[in-house]
Amino acid sequence: MKVLKKVAFKTLGCRLNQYETDALVTSFHNAGYHIVDFGEEADVTVINTCTVTNQSDVKSRNTINQAAAKSPEGLVVVTGCMADHYKQKLESQEQITYVVDNDHKSQIVSLVDGHFAGEILHPDQVQGDRFNFDTVQKSLHTRTSVKIQDGCDNFCTFCIIPSVRGRAISRPLDDILDNVRRVVDNGFKELVITGVNIGRYEAAGLDFEGVLEKVLEVPGDFRVRISSLEPDGFSDRFHELFTHPKLAPHLHLCLQSGSEQILLKMRRMYSAQYFMETVERFREAIPDFNFTTDIIVGFPGETDEDFEKTLDFAQRARFAHIHTFRYSRRSGTRADRMPDQVPGKVMTSRSEEIRKLSESLRLEYMQSMIGKKQRVLIEKVSGKMMASGYGEHYLPVEFLTDDNTKNRFADVILTGIKEGAEPVMVGKDSSLQSER
Amino acid sequence: MNTTTAVDQHIVEKVRNLNSSTYILKFSRGGLEFTPGQHLNVGKKGSGQHREYSIYSGSDSDSIELLIKEVDDGMVSNQLRNLKRGEELSVKGPYGFFLTDIRPEKGEKLLFIASGTGIAPFHSYIRSNPGANYRIIHGIRDMDEAYDPEDYKKGRYFTCTSRGQKGDFHGRITDYLLSGAEEPADKVYLCGNSSMIYDAMDILRASGYRHDQLFTEVYF
Repeated sequence: MKVLKKVAFKTLGCRLNQYETDALVTSFHNAGYHIVDFGEEADVTVINTCTVTNQSDVKSRNTINQAAAKSPEGLVVVTGCMADHYKQKLESQEQITYVVDNDHKSQIVSLVDGHFAGEILHPDQVQGDRFNFDTVQKSLHTRTSVKIQDGCDNFCTFCIIPSVRGRAISRPLDDILDNVRRVVDNGFKELVITGVNIGRYEAAGLDFEGVLEKVLEVPGDFRVRISSLEPDGFSDRFHELFTHPKLAPHLHLCLQSGSEQILLKMRRMYSAQYFMETVERFREAIPDFNFTTDIIVGFPGETDEDFEKTLDFAQRARFAHIHTFRYSRRSGTRADRMPDQVPGKVMTSRSEEIRKLSESLRLEYMQSMIGKKQRVLIEKVSGKMMASGYGEHYLPVEFLTDDNTKNRFADVILTGIKEGAEPVMVGKDSSLQSER
Repeated sequence: MNTTTAVDQHIVEKVRNLNSSTYILKFSRGGLEFTPGQHLNVGKKGSGQHREYSIYSGSDSDSIELLIKEVDDGMVSNQLRNLKRGEELSVKGPYGFFLTDIRPEKGEKLLFIASGTGIAPFHSYIRSNPGANYRIIHGIRDMDEAYDPEDYKKGRYFTCTSRGQKGDFHGRITDYLLSGAEEPADKVYLCGNSSMIYDAMDILRASGYRHDQLFTEVYF
């Protein structure tokens, strides 16, 4: 019997990296490799790195060392943003077999296949393409991402990504629609539109709203969620698209700070006032629209007053979840050279305040959803026939079912909240209810 | 908008000193295309250090010009000032979206508000669009920071001097805006330090400007 070669993966950083790893897992699976957990001995270990902060660099380096120590005879393939940022340095390290930048990431399988066939190529010798990833088939997720864009031109002062991921590029519409059709054919029910800065999509005269409209027109029983979005440049059409039944009424809109002064120092492309007007405008049309966000605490020069403005803003915007980041210095960014860096203790305490606020706002939002119907995409069904998944508003929901089929939609009336460290909505399958 | 990264050679043509701390760095264009308001990442070739500078020259000019203020203990601005004709630069970009919302064909009335070297993108815009309907309010300490005032049409360039007694208005930009003497515009673009922009935005909003009429670019 042929012994399959084992491949392990480790992903650090953003959702885009996760999507690209999922696609690589699919490619290796299709090519006949056996996927094993990271930490197990493997013939190939692929580490999809992140370099967004100095801490990310440390984590990425530790992961590389860990992989090399576990499988000293195996290939170690380092890809992702760190591979772009420190290419030469990483290439000089003996424990790393291949350093593959983001341009060539989609071609890792052919590189590794070639290696085992005795054809050793430098990654730059294979054809590069930011969008040429396999359609995700073998995945633990019920939702999959569709990458429409890469790179960013915004140059926020805290962010190294434009220097690493490169200039904004948009995937041609035909490729996107082909990808959508294939993942829908593969049985995915929820597609997450993703990229580095998807709001800046621009190709062949089509903007972000235009491409979203085309994706929504693709036939099939699926819904579309938008991954993290920068709050600038929305047109009226964007708001209107949310009346489409396939588009989930949820946006992860990155605030970063509620202080106008800090937003200017971050060189964000919007004001706090504009952000709030956007939130209010959405909620006028869809009152239970779910907004979640990212907030950075401890940006250089952030005073107590600035932080209070952020807390106040978050309360008024009623975010159902806040992903809090302690500001982390990144060499090579403008913010790293700014005076008035905030002490770690202050950042910790501010981070804790935001976390508490986030928890209470989340419970408030969940309370407001009791009695409403959600179309839940079932991800798991336990032995006791307890189904769990997410509704269109991106709240976790649990309910009893008489059908243990996963990856299907169920209409559920929300009846309460199961409190805990990670509160969950509980509900009743409306089809069961109507039969009684 | 052009989004290609320039990879061609950029050779220093001239360093023109404007005052003790500010100068214009002029270099060969090398095929670089840009939209007024965009900036470049520039450093001495091989130094490994780059800083962002807005383009000062017009989009049709043969060379690229940057308006640069030397920073005390700065690494790049001092190095660039000492470059000689014929030396090579490392140039990345152009980047940014500032001023890209202007529709010159609509004849919009534009108000440009700048502090210090924040005037660079407006200079580039006016050089590229000589027929534009604009007015510039330039916040400076003294008149030696009024860079190339002759490049603007008569009556379109207005200085607010915070230290010297010369200039069109003695005081800060914000004092001038609060005086209510400036006529309303269709769009207002602000470029300069974040404190000026923050204060000016408050005043402009209070005087009735909507957020979609206000655009900012922060200089550090």
